[in-house]
Amino acid sequence: MHNPAQGPLPERPHANPYLAGFCLGLVLLATFVVMGRGLGASGAFTTAVATAVHAVAPAHADGNDFYASYLGDGSSSPLEDWLVFEVLGVFVGGFLSGALANRLRFKVEKGPRIGTAPRLVLAAVGGALMGVGAKIALGCTSGQALTGGALLNVGSWAFMLCIFAGAYALAGLLRRAWL
Amino acid sequence: MIAPFFKFGAFGDEVSLVVAFVTGIAFGFTLERAGFGNARVLAAQFYFRDLRVLKVMFTAIVTAMIGTFLLGRLGVLDLSLVYLTPTFLVPQIVGGLVLGAGFIIGGYCPGTSCVSAATGRVDGMVYLLGMIGGLVGFAEIYPGIQGWLRTTPLGQVTLAQQFGLPYGMVVAAVAVMALGAFLAAEWAERRIGGKLPGPGSLLEPVRRITPVRAFALALLGLGLVAPFAGDPYRRGVAQLDAKQLALEAGTKADHVWPTELADWILQGRNDYRLIDVREPDEFATYHIPGAVNVPLTRVATDLAQRNELLVFVSDGGIHAAQAWLLFKAMGYRSVYMLFGGIEEWKEKVLFPVAPAADAPTSEQVEFRKRAAVAKYFGGAALGAGSAQAATRIVPPMPTSPPGDVVPAPARKKKKEGC
Repeated sequence: MHNPAQGPLPERPHANPYLAGFCLGLVLLATFVVMGRGLGASGAFTTAVATAVHAVAPAHADGNDFYASYLGDGSSSPLEDWLVFEVLGVFVGGFLSGALANRLRFKVEKGPRIGTAPRLVLAAVGGALMGVGAKIALGCTSGQALTGGALLNVGSWAFMLCIFAGAYALAGLLRRAWL
Repeated sequence: MIAPFFKFGAFGDEVSLVVAFVTGIAFGFTLERAGFGNARVLAAQFYFRDLRVLKVMFTAIVTAMIGTFLLGRLGVLDLSLVYLTPTFLVPQIVGGLVLGAGFIIGGYCPGTSCVSAATGRVDGMVYLLGMIGGLVGFAEIYPGIQGWLRTTPLGQVTLAQQFGLPYGMVVAAVAVMALGAFLAAEWAERRIGGKLPGPGSLLEPVRRITPVRAFALALLGLGLVAPFAGDPYRRGVAQLDAKQLALEAGTKADHVWPTELADWILQGRNDYRLIDVREPDEFATYHIPGAVNVPLTRVATDLAQRNELLVFVSDGGIHAAQAWLLFKAMGYRSVYMLFGGIEEWKEKVLFPVAPAADAPTSEQVEFRKRAAVAKYFGGAALGAGSAQAATRIVPPMPTSPPGDVVPAPARKKKKEGC
């Protein structure tokens, strides 16, 4: 038995990356077979943002083509959306896996040479860039790179290579944040 | 051909949301298992310390790619029905670079940040807030860059189509490239990151076929067989159930009556698609509100989901009937044609003729209703006995709806992409 005095249970090691990749590939394949579409993430947040803006300022949301395209036809709530439910599941699945592997922690993941506040500022900036980039490219790492990669989609492959290119190009400048 | 199940109508929208939730659980669980709830693990990719991102991502891509190829080739999965995001090359290159910058600055991508936040990581939660801010900002600049976002369109296109190669050849190339990338990644981890290849890696210093090597060889083997296995797409192969078709045609179950369609439009129904198969110039002269123009010569390409309700319209009825047969053959479930075509639409909806003065009251009531509908569609009711005139009148295109009949708003259905 675990003795609480020894502190939290040690985190279990992460899965073998090839095994995790194989499982992820099977999840993706199942989505193709069952739904005829792929996985996604950023689209759900766009729908949520569009719905929220529509609730606060309906005229503004309706007047903006970008929001309007995520609000549907008005016959049902825009939140009754495949990606929204999928992303809710991602939160649940991530939590379950984290709980089973003793990885649930309230903490900030950062390199040893950066403070908490600068790390959180970088997280917010990175998130904002990701939001913009995903909308320019019609998808993020899930919806474009992973899904389109497996379907040999031309745009997805160009996009995926550019993600790696962009991240590697800036990695040198951000060494302090991570190492 | 039975898959994709949803697009063949195996279940409806409500069930699809349950499927979405379950899929998401599996997705999130796998991402967390891989260590992707931790920004340090993800960022290590870009300093050659731990190339997990590349290994997980390419293993997943190769697994799903080979799976779709095999299922397509075996005739289980109709690959043409799996949604392919359209390519806009320059925006996607720029978007990729911006996303890459966001990845190394913030430490996550959208999917992994959800897992990170769900396991309590504060940086993941802040990242999500940042992303929401980015989306709001994007919406504000959207009108200004809207045109640019649709530049360099290549359509919904695969690498195989783009470069004129057999699909299987690209599958093999990606499998070989992925294996090469895995070996290079493990080499780089040792050389630059100083991490010795341990158990579970391809370069583990043992002289035997470890499980991970067997797995890699299996993927490579399947990939290399693909170029010789043929085409995974089903192209123009039609299957007909003659008895079933004869029954539907004979009982007129394949028809939508003009007055019925007019009521659908007035009710603002948007669960069907009205497809006008006439030539573009005829379509431009007059078409039923809400119709899209797909001339018969182009109609045999996939233009809708298998479970969508389609109504075909032509001048009389012959071209619509031909389109009906084509789509039935392609496996569409709910295909109908407008009975009598545009001609009948004009007679019954746009220019209904008043019944004789001694007709029963029910007929008179019905006519008054039809007259109001005709007015809405820009037509007019005609006096009794003027049936001959109807078909010669060129109906005007409807302008603004009159006050007495207000249709429900019909906005476009939501898109399928990210």
